[in-house]
Amino acid sequence: MQISTEELDGGITRIALDGRMDIQGAQAVDLKMNLIAGSSRKLLIDLEKVSFLGSMGMGSIVRPARSVVARGGKVVLFNPVEMVESVFKASGIDTLLPIHHELTAAIAALQ
Amino acid sequence: MLMAAAISGENTVMPEPRLTMGSRFEDLLLLWNWVEAQAAEYGIPSETEFAIQLCLEEAVSNIIRHGYRGRPHLAITVDCVAPAGEQEILFTVEDQAPPFDPLAAAEMPIPTSIDEIPDGGRGIRLLRGFAGSLAYQRLPGGNRLTIGFAMPR
Repeated sequence: MQISTEELDGGITRIALDGRMDIQGAQAVDLKMNLIAGSSRKLLIDLEKVSFLGSMGMGSIVRPARSVVARGGKVVLFNPVEMVESVFKASGIDTLLPIHHELTAAIAALQ
Repeated sequence: MLMAAAISGENTVMPEPRLTMGSRFEDLLLLWNWVEAQAAEYGIPSETEFAIQLCLEEAVSNIIRHGYRGRPHLAITVDCVAPAGEQEILFTVEDQAPPFDPLAAAEMPIPTSIDEIPDGGRGIRLLRGFAGSLAYQRLPGGNRLTIGFAMPR
């Protein structure tokens, strides 16, 4: 599991995840996700290269997202593949953390 | 030519129908490789393989965390059966843990705000949502969960 970050205009932090968000993947990114979330108010979580998402992996996305929102920030999920998106939908997370497939719409949602 | 066919045949050995793994998260790597081999053997579509992995991760991680309470050297077996003529492929997970019927377990409600999203409890909903069929059987000294997935006709 790879994780990288990029600072975009407007104070947006883009976290790009790459790999399988199974239990091992979740454990691999947990600490870094929490650290990034601790210092960000606008978070774009790029899921384009996530090929698998299980319930533990979803926890590793939801927990940092919750902490950003609790501090008055915003979080969007960007471009998950269809099956990964279906996991968010089955859990009802998509209604609380918006999913966008266009980068401009994702950025606009964070303004 | 016959020789080549025979050699080729030996190289396409069917994957073992049963995987025995320890009650450690590291052993999930064995499970993923085994599921991948079953998917190749039975021509399982990638979306179905995703659902199989999602459900097996949930079932097995529940056993490791709750059933066996983190004790690492207890066995979990997973069997794969694709009965001829049936439209489902079946994965059966067995443990020797105290009784736990995930079909009877309460589902966490769908959260209505981000503060309400619980750290856990999503797994049962996912299991029910992504499995084609679920059947639980209490065994003498263990549990058996059979998870079915629709196969392409």
